[in-house]
Amino acid sequence: MKRSKAHRNLKNFIFWMLFPTFTIVAILTYYPTIKGILLAFEDYTVFTFQNIQFVGWQNFETIFSDPNFFIALWNTVWWIALSVAFQFVLGFALALLMRKPFRGRGVYAGIVFYPWALSGFALGILWSWLLNGQFGLINDILMKLHLIHHGIDFLSNPSYAFISVIAVNVWYGIPFFAIMILAALQSIPNSLYEAAEIDGAGSVSKFFNVTLPYIKPTVVSTLLLRVIWVMNFPDIIYGMTKGGPAGSTNILATYMINIVYFESDYSKASAVGLIIISILTAYALTYLKFTSSYELGEI
Amino acid sequence: MKVKILVVFSVLVIALFAMSFAANTVTLNMIQVFTSPQRTHVLETIIKEFEALHPNVHINLISPPYESAYQKVYLMLSTNQPLDIVEVGDWSLEGVVQLGKMENLEPYIAKWSGAKDLIPGLLKAVRVTGGKAYIIPNGVYAKALFYRPDILAKFGITQPPATMKELYNDCLKITNPTKNQYGFDFRGTGLPTNFIDIITTSYLNDIDPSNMYKLKNGKLWFKDPRALEGLKLYLNFYKNTAPKDSINWGFDAQVNAFVAGTTPFLFQDPDTTGLLNSMLKKGQYKTAPLPVGPSGKVYPSYGFGGWGIPNYSKHKELAWEFIKFFTTPMISAYFCKEYGALPVLKSVYEDDPYFSSGVFEGWKKMFSDPQKYVFTSYPLANPAWTRWTKYQQDTMQQALLGRITLDQLTTKWYNFWKKAFGM
Repeated sequence: MKRSKAHRNLKNFIFWMLFPTFTIVAILTYYPTIKGILLAFEDYTVFTFQNIQFVGWQNFETIFSDPNFFIALWNTVWWIALSVAFQFVLGFALALLMRKPFRGRGVYAGIVFYPWALSGFALGILWSWLLNGQFGLINDILMKLHLIHHGIDFLSNPSYAFISVIAVNVWYGIPFFAIMILAALQSIPNSLYEAAEIDGAGSVSKFFNVTLPYIKPTVVSTLLLRVIWVMNFPDIIYGMTKGGPAGSTNILATYMINIVYFESDYSKASAVGLIIISILTAYALTYLKFTSSYELGEI
Repeated sequence: MKVKILVVFSVLVIALFAMSFAANTVTLNMIQVFTSPQRTHVLETIIKEFEALHPNVHINLISPPYESAYQKVYLMLSTNQPLDIVEVGDWSLEGVVQLGKMENLEPYIAKWSGAKDLIPGLLKAVRVTGGKAYIIPNGVYAKALFYRPDILAKFGITQPPATMKELYNDCLKITNPTKNQYGFDFRGTGLPTNFIDIITTSYLNDIDPSNMYKLKNGKLWFKDPRALEGLKLYLNFYKNTAPKDSINWGFDAQVNAFVAGTTPFLFQDPDTTGLLNSMLKKGQYKTAPLPVGPSGKVYPSYGFGGWGIPNYSKHKELAWEFIKFFTTPMISAYFCKEYGALPVLKSVYEDDPYFSSGVFEGWKKMFSDPQKYVFTSYPLANPAWTRWTKYQQDTMQQALLGRITLDQLTTKWYNFWKKAFGM
């Protein structure tokens, strides 16, 4: 009897401790999400604020009949694949290089990880000026080194523009993987390497049989997170090109922002948002299925 | 002990005094949409003057970044956030009024003697929604030709071009990519509607002054062969006289290129003078009327921004006091000189020679010849307008990049407005 009262008190205590957090999350996350989903099926524009109608799938029909949507969708695939692949490989390499202590490692790490601390949008604007075809510092340096005679149209040639925004995103995202993987690497006990050495393992064998299996949970979870973040990361593109020229650097997220800014059609933008959420949910479920929670916990 | 009591008593008196002062002070919340550091400084100076005349009034100026300013305005108005004075530009006026949160200013205007001093046609231009005025303009904008005499002199060009053909030929003469010298300060992004339309429509002599996209016979002009010629010229300006990078140029990049001398011919609004005056020496730039096309005409448009009052404001009378104060000759002249807009009051043009000479010469000449320089309105009240400017920019960029032909471009535009006008 006494035990059940204590148990009830504990349950009450836990409930009231969690209550404020759940309330805030519900107000700030779940309510806007549900409202956003409903918005996608309404006609909510600047011109219809006073007479909002339910329009069913009309917003989705409009989006699917817009060729620019499919350009943005295809760009999103490339944007994620190339950005995450290069960020991961280069971040991994950087983490391996910084694993062993050397003089000034802390300062070096600070410099390398610095971009991660800055606003993506501000960096986008900064890079748009660095890569400016007329007045850009990078073109200026290349010309002074006599490597080129005319400025390269980094951001005005659609092909170069897309490569440029991806390159900047790779540069920006390397520290994330480097930090996460470095932390995981530093947690590997030396005894494992020593045991592997006794068994006659070389560097390559140690990497594949000790390092990689040990950090696998970190790699799996960071890749999952990073794909979601990169898909929802319009900052750099918006700062550099706003999705242009002619929509050639649009990803779904910038396509959605442009609908809000230039068309003031909040319902259509919500419909794009819903499509993004659907894609990410499908991706997360598939990804988690192939990399089961058992494997995530397995060391 | 006595000292302690005295200190506590003094603090209480000061606190009570401060509280009573605060209780009597009325705070007006005011939002601007064309934010820039220079403009914010000018507005703050005017606000200080107003506050000096009204000691119990404090104005809290909200200055959101230009790019997201209207989102802020929409959000504040639709959620009834404390706001007493709101700035709205012509292109967004219909959308903001449609929120149903703006005060109809007609009863205020009826009792305002200063209304008679507004330049002719301005109130008519402001009455976009249902023939009612919801803002009082604080500045007028219209494109003119800016040019750099110092750069042009090096190429033997001593007079600004009077026609589009002359402008194109001058630009061709100057352009030398190996020396990073170009002619035309092209605008590829940042909603280049005015730039495209000024050049294209200059080939037509029968544009409806009440609708930039219709002819006087009521038809759309997009499939007219003359318009196609105008668009060809626009494309040639980009291909042959402007840097390839200018497809990405908005206002900032245009001003940079003009100041650097890379492109000495620029179409811009009078607010550019405020910036140029701080970046170039006197005489380094001048303005001239927009060049006319083969039609002998050119069709600029009036742009304007202005102050309005939310209908839920608790201080409407004070807000109106501020708007009237802003529209007095002295303040209007100060604002326009510092910021660079054209004044909204007749008396400012008559009494202040600054606005009819020097860098304002281009506009003076344009205003004096309405047959040649036909000021034309955009269909701002059409719900399609908010989509049009970005759509026009994106499709134009596709044509500039050679992804679509001019014929495909004009078909897209024709279909857009045919549907929008319900034709």
